[in-house]
Amino acid sequence: MDKELKLTRRKFLQVSAAAGAVAAAGGIELAAHAAPDEEAKKGELKYVRTTCAPNCTGGCGQQACVYNGEIKDIIQASDYEDSEHNPRGCLKGISFSNLIYGPNRMHGPLKRIGAPGEDEFEELSWEDALDQAAAELRRISDTYGPESIACVVQVAGTGHVAKGAISRIATLNGWAMMGGYEMNGDLPMSAPITFGVQSEELETYCWLDAKYIMCFGSNPMQTRIPDAHFLNEARENGAKLLVFDPCFTATASKADEWYSIKPSSDAAVALGFAKVILDEKLYDADFIRKFTDMPILIRSDNQKKLLAADVEGLEVPADMPEYRQAFVAYSKGKPVTVNPEKFDLPMDTQLEGEVTIRLRDGKSVKCRPVFDLLSEMASQWTPEAVEAETDMPASEIPRIAREIATIKPVHIMYGASNYQWYHGDLKGRALSLLVALTGNIGHLGDGFSTYAGQYKMRYKGGAWWNVPELPDKKPAGTSFAYMLDYTLNDYAKNGPRPTMTCPFPKSGIKAWILYCCNAFDQHNIANVLREQVESGQLECVITLDFQKTTTSKYAHFCLPGVSWYEKTELVSTPIHPYAQLMQPAIEPLYDCKPELWIMRELADRVNPGDRKWFYPDLDPDKAAEEVIKLTCETGGIEMEGVTLEKLKQGPVKLHHENPGRKRIPFYEQIQGGQPFPPVSYPMTIDKTAQFVKSGRIEFYKDEDTFIKVGECLPVHKPPFEETEYVLNPAARELYKYTYITRNSIHRVHSTHSNNQMMRELQDDSAKVYLNPDDAAEKGIAAGDLVEVFNDRGKLLAEAVLDPGVRTMTVIFEEGWWSRYTHGTSYNTLLYPWINPVHEVYFVSQMWAPNTSWNECLVDFKKAEI
Amino acid sequence: MRYCMVIDLDKCIGCQTCAVICKMHHAQPQGTWWNRVFTQGSDYHQSAVGTKDGFKIEYLPVSCQMCDNAPCERVCPTGATYKNEEGMILVDYDRCIGCRTCMAACPYGVRQFNWKDPKKAKEEAGYAYGYPFDVTEKGKRLVYTQDRPAGVVEKCTFCVECMNADGTYDALPACVRACPGKARYFGDLDDPNSEVSRLVSSKQVFRLKEEYGTEPKVYYISSTKSKNVEGPWTEQSWENKTPNTIIP
Repeated sequence: MDKELKLTRRKFLQVSAAAGAVAAAGGIELAAHAAPDEEAKKGELKYVRTTCAPNCTGGCGQQACVYNGEIKDIIQASDYEDSEHNPRGCLKGISFSNLIYGPNRMHGPLKRIGAPGEDEFEELSWEDALDQAAAELRRISDTYGPESIACVVQVAGTGHVAKGAISRIATLNGWAMMGGYEMNGDLPMSAPITFGVQSEELETYCWLDAKYIMCFGSNPMQTRIPDAHFLNEARENGAKLLVFDPCFTATASKADEWYSIKPSSDAAVALGFAKVILDEKLYDADFIRKFTDMPILIRSDNQKKLLAADVEGLEVPADMPEYRQAFVAYSKGKPVTVNPEKFDLPMDTQLEGEVTIRLRDGKSVKCRPVFDLLSEMASQWTPEAVEAETDMPASEIPRIAREIATIKPVHIMYGASNYQWYHGDLKGRALSLLVALTGNIGHLGDGFSTYAGQYKMRYKGGAWWNVPELPDKKPAGTSFAYMLDYTLNDYAKNGPRPTMTCPFPKSGIKAWILYCCNAFDQHNIANVLREQVESGQLECVITLDFQKTTTSKYAHFCLPGVSWYEKTELVSTPIHPYAQLMQPAIEPLYDCKPELWIMRELADRVNPGDRKWFYPDLDPDKAAEEVIKLTCETGGIEMEGVTLEKLKQGPVKLHHENPGRKRIPFYEQIQGGQPFPPVSYPMTIDKTAQFVKSGRIEFYKDEDTFIKVGECLPVHKPPFEETEYVLNPAARELYKYTYITRNSIHRVHSTHSNNQMMRELQDDSAKVYLNPDDAAEKGIAAGDLVEVFNDRGKLLAEAVLDPGVRTMTVIFEEGWWSRYTHGTSYNTLLYPWINPVHEVYFVSQMWAPNTSWNECLVDFKKAEI
Repeated sequence: MRYCMVIDLDKCIGCQTCAVICKMHHAQPQGTWWNRVFTQGSDYHQSAVGTKDGFKIEYLPVSCQMCDNAPCERVCPTGATYKNEEGMILVDYDRCIGCRTCMAACPYGVRQFNWKDPKKAKEEAGYAYGYPFDVTEKGKRLVYTQDRPAGVVEKCTFCVECMNADGTYDALPACVRACPGKARYFGDLDDPNSEVSRLVSSKQVFRLKEEYGTEPKVYYISSTKSKNVEGPWTEQSWENKTPNTIIP
């Protein structure tokens, strides 16, 4: 049997972890087929290890098989030192070459000459395209101010070199960086509100260490394909998996228990569990005294936290940073200062009852600890009340609550399907309460995780993302909300609401530079954005994407970048602990260019001489290597031991401070005594510590807006009451179906919509998932074309009748380009509700106005076309 | 040596990565899938079956079952379909005349026919992907080539291109290596110490359509969660599917 070829394959597989193992296939024995392919013998075969880095943030190491300069197939590199992560990758990543070589691949720079949305372009040389784009940007900056030019790069960690280059040009010119987090509705606001962080989640191999796992609106079996096995293995290890989701999902199918709760009712469910834990005194009193704000006294006169500075006889710690506040607790019959930098409250600090405190001004005020107020608020959520509000069976609530309190570690996964609601923050806060009450924070396998919107940078990037040599140069801040001109959020027309803290560009956003962002399909609200191009409000849109997307057709200039098989890049996302390189498997296709090169050339044309800030003498790959070296050297403690040389050998694990091989969120706080929050890169601690001024995990917020809207505590508020029913009271009758846009296994948001293999797997049509009873009522059969509609827009998709879909719920898998939904766009149905608590602070991508994609009511009917 | 595959249905997450890696690696044109993943009893992948008293979503990956008593081999008039020394059923593309008798004989519906020139079909849809080298057995039997001719039947080969002259594998079949759920095992059923033998003897396993006496060498570890819906698998789950879904 002639199978020598396989030996050569093996050699390649063994060396392939180091990139660029090249061999002339002619020099080795190929399969001794009767007539060996002469061409094959002449060919060059190599395997290149790179990193797949779309906005799933999976960051999966892939190995491309390249023959004669063309990628022939892709398979997971499976070279992670923590071998449980092998193989990382999914059906989309391994078929990514369909996009690289597909019919929508960009060939070179384009200028749109047709109407917006029409596919009419003029091909330009790079020289001409860059000159013209730069002239437009200069004109817009001169006319409206530099802050009217906004750049979007989506997930920072998926490409430090390219995305940093865009941030760098924005820094040099004072343009705005617009947070992708907010655009995507992905900001898990409960995290900054409660913990003072952007997000802190378990790396997925820590799922194995949990013994009790609760998924609320999270569907990792479909949305985290490379990591899903950890949930199955956790169950094999004896963990219990509970899924709380309106619909029976793929994750529910692997769970021990599934509860179909009403959409957006999770806070009431959590409070029902909390009430049992409180009533039965199953909470960890030491933990909550030490690490949370529950002992802190709340004034009955103004609902504010009592300040030590206002209390007679109390001292404020002398060395307290400005972003902190010293509050007051009550111990041994007298008030005590809560030092926000230390967890040193006496363990007998009072958690219950009302006390009277004498103030410095001679007056007295009645106060109660946060814990006492929380207990009172939760007391209304009896099992029966919870069932009535949520459909969670009352009989199960005490048992589950006791399990939460007695089994450790408990891990709660809070999915984007759940937090992309107007009151998403309240639900996250209420669920966080469960892990805080039971001390399930800061240990291996426990905690509260969100896995959407993983924008977090793993290390300092400022040396490249900004220009440290020019400390006065800064990018402007702005909000995506300013682009959404709507009745309830009329920022664009009237400027920001008085409560809004985000800087407002006086002329609005006039130019938009988009990278990894198909906003004109994917974003809330794509039709409004399209209208802004049509009306001329947006005077210049530039996209850097390597494919011709719907957004390209609305762009004024397409300056095409390249895929992650055509350049050198640095990737590190929060889902696993590795820093990895993208390495060029092939030359940039056609006349596409690495984004670093595009930014260098553009910067020099916007402001002559600025080329010097982008390694002007090096080719783009060498320049990228310099950026990576710089980032390794300046990245801080997480980058300890990470070098370009090591990265070229394979994935390098980032440093963490806690003992053991897995990083533990909040370890430094819970086990190291550091105050909350830990740093959220790229922000410095002074920016984020203001979110939790007590230095503790906070369940009581006393900023004026929270008081005004009655959300000091993590209360339950039902959906639609402050949104749809305010906008149109008739919606209560007209639009009774909740419209949830979940993620598909066949797309990463809008990426892979056009992957022909993914299309085949979906019978080449977009689907809407309906409960069979709901469909029958409307006379809809499986496969019928359905129109989902409300006052704002419509969607056309084919019906799938799925009995696991909760009645009165319509499910659409987001991301489809509108060409695949008969020209409709699924997000024209949405409305950009902005919750005022999101305006209390403005720290881009952390605490900022955030859209809520699932807060949407619709009706549907059989389509007539 | 008797190679077999074991698929753990508890671990399978229905992601279809196995189907896609197989298609990409083996240069299957549009409409052709050597390996498919079904949701048992469901009309649409990953939608539930059952009633509100109990739902289930359970998958069934189906590719060539590599039968020890393979009906396709017996009916092939030209000897193009044959069983090799390692017990694998392979198709010699040089000998296949495209009569498709094997497709009628196969109870699993896994054999795929090249109606069109696959090379052209791929180039029209995108580009010429797939493992670029020919693989022959015995110096003459062409069991893999990137661009099969129009008019031949093809199917899973247990990644024969990964097998060495002595019958050992230097890289496991692509679907095994790529499975994100780590649900697939591959090895020698004749070796009592192999992982597959251990699994087959220690786990509750079943094979598809055992009643036909085909003696498949793909074993499925039963899901422990199939409490609410009858059977380890249902006919409806994959037999009603058209094997070739072609994008117009």
